[in-house]
Amino acid sequence: MRNTYLWLLQLVTGGIIVVLLGAHLITQYPDGILVVTQRLDTTLKLFGIAGADTTTWASTIHRARQGIAAGLYLALVAVVLYHGLNGLRGIALEVTASAATARVITYALMAIGTILFSAILVSRLLY
Amino acid sequence: MRKQTAPKPNYLGVGGWVWGGKYKLERYLYLFHRISGLYLMLFIMLHLFTTFIFRIQSKDVWAATIVLFQHPWLKIIAYLTVGAAVYHAMNGLRLALLELGFALGRPALPVFPYSDALRRKRPLTMVFMALAIVIAFIFFFGFV
Repeated sequence: MRNTYLWLLQLVTGGIIVVLLGAHLITQYPDGILVVTQRLDTTLKLFGIAGADTTTWASTIHRARQGIAAGLYLALVAVVLYHGLNGLRGIALEVTASAATARVITYALMAIGTILFSAILVSRLLY
Repeated sequence: MRKQTAPKPNYLGVGGWVWGGKYKLERYLYLFHRISGLYLMLFIMLHLFTTFIFRIQSKDVWAATIVLFQHPWLKIIAYLTVGAAVYHAMNGLRLALLELGFALGRPALPVFPYSDALRRKRPLTMVFMALAIVIAFIFFFGFV
């Protein structure tokens, strides 16, 4: 794929991450939003979460079993992996002189991303 | 006849990321964008490991991990991670806006004293950095 499309995808994935990671951070550290809005329960129910502590085993497993939340988390993992690995590729290609090395780096990062996401997907489906 | 010398290559390598001359504010934002991005990549790897691997183990291992993360030093690191994510997000939104051609201002005739692009975009930079500080401050309540 041409570099311009990779860069456009980098912008798009960045925007998606702002939304999904924002939701993730708000559900994990809701106290600040509680201070601001005072309407935390209504907000959390939108994400299918009831109760204050989101780090307990029951809450985590409940979200993992729930279709929408699990799907959103998987989407976040996929998008974050693309964004991060493409960022690493940009940094690596800055100090790389030859096109052959650049190609090796690109395919290696693609392999790493695919393997990581597959491992996470399998672990999600099995447990 | 003057001795001909080869031109100095305009390539500073990794050191050029940190220092390549007199830098303006945006250049340091770029440096922190890169540092926070590399740090967040490292964190995400550890984060995926702790959540996905410890979850498969058992309920007790998960509970022990959560207790471990209540340690003050780890809470400080967690808050710094949130701060890095907020900074990276806000600076990234600024870069994406400018990349797509928004908030560049109207083109104008070059009348003395000339304004430069960095100064014209400086208010936008300040708005996004203020947003980052406010959002990071809001998240601070979750760590005290």
